[in-house]
Amino acid sequence: MAEEEDETVFDEDLDDGAGGADGSHGKRKRLFSKELRCMMYGFGDDQNPYTESVDILGDLVIEFATEMTHKAMSIGRQGRVQVEDIVFLIRKDPRKFAGVKDLLTMNEELKRARKAFDEANYGS
Amino acid sequence: MQTPNQKIPPHNHSNANTNRTLWLEMMRMREPQINLLPKKLKVEPEKKKEKRQKVDEDEIQKMQVLVSSFSEEQLNRYEMYRRSAFPKAAIKRLIQSITGSSVSQNVVIAMSGISKVFAGEIVEEALDVCEKWGDTPPLQPKHMREAVRRLKSREQIPNTKHKNILFH
Repeated sequence: MAEEEDETVFDEDLDDGAGGADGSHGKRKRLFSKELRCMMYGFGDDQNPYTESVDILGDLVIEFATEMTHKAMSIGRQGRVQVEDIVFLIRKDPRKFAGVKDLLTMNEELKRARKAFDEANYGS
Repeated sequence: MQTPNQKIPPHNHSNANTNRTLWLEMMRMREPQINLLPKKLKVEPEKKKEKRQKVDEDEIQKMQVLVSSFSEEQLNRYEMYRRSAFPKAAIKRLIQSITGSSVSQNVVIAMSGISKVFAGEIVEEALDVCEKWGDTPPLQPKHMREAVRRLKSREQIPNTKHKNILFH
């Protein structure tokens, strides 16, 4: 079956392309499997995406986050990662900036709403 | 005492329908204009800001109209799209294993955000590839790999492992 062939080929590819930050190849524990499945469905894939595809995406995301972290560490304050990395991406990718801005504003809003809710419970 | 927005009732995990309505309510909450960028980038004149706010409001209204006309399956998918996120703990562990020092909560939020958008770009490209090759949805590894290849050629995937030596 086509997928099985793809899977063996993929394993070899994995060692080539998606090497982790600490150099560990092959057996990386599946960090994001459950969340990634939901995410892929949300982005338009089938309700039950193939495990191999989820794995590939997971490795890609980890590699991406690793690269971003390294880049962020090398600019601004060396060796630390700060919200500057968002600014770093703005000039490149308007979509990512909008996504991050949404998340951060939602977070602020939730914090405020929770705080207001708690205060309402305490007062009167 | 003034509450800036609607109060959020305590989160109930048991009833899926309550979750759905609660979530839809949240979608209708207006987003405040919080400025999270460093001061030097705040150079927009007042007029532009007003215009941008008006455009945002229009967009929010249009989204509400759109979402209220979704079918059950579309609503499901949209809910997954909005709610899915990477676990903060795992992202934090990943970042900290690289930096060696602790990172603030906002960094973790930002990193999960851009990772999610990144995943979205790949899936969208892969779906394009899938459609172009005449296949059907559950995405296969070959679609993903072709999508990555295309994004790489458009430089949308960061790769600091390969150095371009200009003059040799």
